[in-house]
Amino acid sequence: MIVVVGLSHRTAPVQVRERVAGGGESLDGVVASLMARAEVSESLVLSTCNRVEIFATASGAPTDAIRAMRDVFGQHTPMMTGEELATHLFEYGGGEAIRHIFRVASSLDSLVVGEPQILGQLKDAYDAAVASGALGGLLGRCIERSFGVAKRVRTETALGAGSVSISSVAVDLAQRIFGELSSCAVLLVGAGEMAEAATRSLGRGARQLRVCNRSIERAEALAATVDGSVAPWEDLERELATADVVVTSTSARAFVIDSAMVKRVMRLRRGKTLFLIDIAVPRNVEPSVHAIDNVYVYNIDDLEELVAEGMKSRLSEVDAAESIVRDELAVFDVWLRERTVRPTIVALREKIRAVLEAEREKAFSGKLRHLSVEDRNAITHMLDGAANKLLHAPTTRLKSVAGASTGGDSASEFASALQYLFELHDAEAEPKPGDHEAPIALSSSVAASSAWAKLIP
Amino acid sequence: MIFLANILFVTTSLVYLAASALFLAHLTGRSSANALAPRLMVLGVALQAASILLSSVALHVCPVRGVHFALSVVSFAACVLYVSLRHRYRLDFIGAFIAPLALTFHLASRFGGSPAHDSDPAHRLQSVILPVHVITNVLGDALFLLAFATALGYLIKERLLKQKRLSGIFRRLPPLDSLERAEHAFLLSGFVMLTIGLMTGTVWAARVEAGHPADVMRAVLGYTSWFVFAAALAFRASGRWRGRRASYITIFGFLCMSLVMLLYVARTIGPLASLLMELP
Repeated sequence: MIVVVGLSHRTAPVQVRERVAGGGESLDGVVASLMARAEVSESLVLSTCNRVEIFATASGAPTDAIRAMRDVFGQHTPMMTGEELATHLFEYGGGEAIRHIFRVASSLDSLVVGEPQILGQLKDAYDAAVASGALGGLLGRCIERSFGVAKRVRTETALGAGSVSISSVAVDLAQRIFGELSSCAVLLVGAGEMAEAATRSLGRGARQLRVCNRSIERAEALAATVDGSVAPWEDLERELATADVVVTSTSARAFVIDSAMVKRVMRLRRGKTLFLIDIAVPRNVEPSVHAIDNVYVYNIDDLEELVAEGMKSRLSEVDAAESIVRDELAVFDVWLRERTVRPTIVALREKIRAVLEAEREKAFSGKLRHLSVEDRNAITHMLDGAANKLLHAPTTRLKSVAGASTGGDSASEFASALQYLFELHDAEAEPKPGDHEAPIALSSSVAASSAWAKLIP
Repeated sequence: MIFLANILFVTTSLVYLAASALFLAHLTGRSSANALAPRLMVLGVALQAASILLSSVALHVCPVRGVHFALSVVSFAACVLYVSLRHRYRLDFIGAFIAPLALTFHLASRFGGSPAHDSDPAHRLQSVILPVHVITNVLGDALFLLAFATALGYLIKERLLKQKRLSGIFRRLPPLDSLERAEHAFLLSGFVMLTIGLMTGTVWAARVEAGHPADVMRAVLGYTSWFVFAAALAFRASGRWRGRRASYITIFGFLCMSLVMLLYVARTIGPLASLLMELP
């Protein structure tokens, strides 16, 4: 059974999360510690700024596995006492654990619903677990399936659409006006904290980033942090003539950029599009500037309205996304139930294959030794076909009974009957990642038989 | 062969119709699929090429030596340009304007008279001027059609940006700057074609001594369009007409060009031709 133990923004405040996730390298050893425990057969650690979670497969009783996971969690979180940590930990088992993993991958459990980073972080955690050999056929399959669920949610709903922060709205708007920001020059007027945040996003891909502030020292300090250059305050009008995106955030009580100035600037720009983002309160840009041809002014209220719209549109998609998670859970549940009879099916096929191969070799070295290579191949293919056809019905029916939601008992009875009738001693083993019900193919050993046959006089 | 040409004509129309519906459904937010419509446009272009080729072979008419195929060839050229340039200018959703226009032009070509009754005096004059005149005009019209569609897209996007209504169509249209650059590129290329078309048309008119009122009207509208586009390009270069104003002038110029084409085609339609002949 899959089990999950962890803490997230839902159960722990940031002060707790930073002490757990901030442990850094201390979490590196969690997987190794867990794999050393007999209660757990597979494990994966997902650590982000909003969550630290351990996904695992219980070898035996899930309660034992959860206890082991809590122990290991405590050992690797030296900055907190066991009691303190326990109050913030949540735990899930079975279907609830799988649902949680699917929801985490789909960003339904994220602080900002629909954010895309979590899927990349889960993929990194998966790669790390695979590299350390900590994933097998159950948890590994579940995580892989969660990637598919996340992809479905992203493509079939608009959960990831819309911008949900002032900076991302500003970047989104600039891209919708200018396309790629790599061709844009960004001018920062004022050196407020809000402008710095917006400029970090806008300036990241911009062709040029200039900072224009009354205090040259502050301009220089900000320019250094955002990798830009300084423009003197007196040159503001000239700077406006060459910029494409302007972010204003000065604390001036009067308009810094007025209509007359922009009209002059637009003549110098030969009418080229100018986008002004005014995040200052009180506003730095005269509202009538927005009426000038090819000039667009968005103030803090406009941006906040867009943020609210983005958030609203994301939340309206949550039901659709949850429905996809439910569908995928049902599909995974069928796979899980079919999985219980898979060892019996694999053992049955192996047994039949072994019997047929032995009989074939006996015949080819006895009464049928006179047969040519072509005839031997034909007989081998005939045996393959007959065996696969005979096994097709019992295999599909057994899987179908197991996959049905109420078929658990019947499936185990059928599986037990098959094990008893065919003396399948290995069928109790837990399936491994490589286990599969491949069709019987004695023909794969034909080459060896043929080579051997050629030596027969 | 005529039967096959007819089947191709109908199939092309259906493909353009489907592409138009898909483009419009996506632009208005009724469908999230956006990859199929451009592919249908590519299919439509291939079918239309086959349709024009087969029809011209069956009717023994060179597509660039008469007016019969003019409309269809204009829409074909516009679609070829759209399909080739849509990635460069990120113009996928301009297909929502191009596809219906292509469909309209393609269907209209069926009612543009038949070669057997073609009254174009050019048929009586063997010269290289006519093919050059027709090719440049067809390409010019196709480019103006693209400029017109791009200008429409620009005006819609610009209006929504000014009104701060940033959902739906606004998000599906290409960036404003891409639209403006594309519109200018189409306008400039179309203007070059129009200039050559007007020059060859003037020479041709002098040779055939065309003095029919419809020819004069066409010439007047042709020169008017040329002046409109020349003014649009000159004022854009000076920085006075950019963005919204440039888009309005592009649309006006395209409407002038459409009237020229309408007169061109109307002459070959029996009742309209008679009406035009009676013009003072």
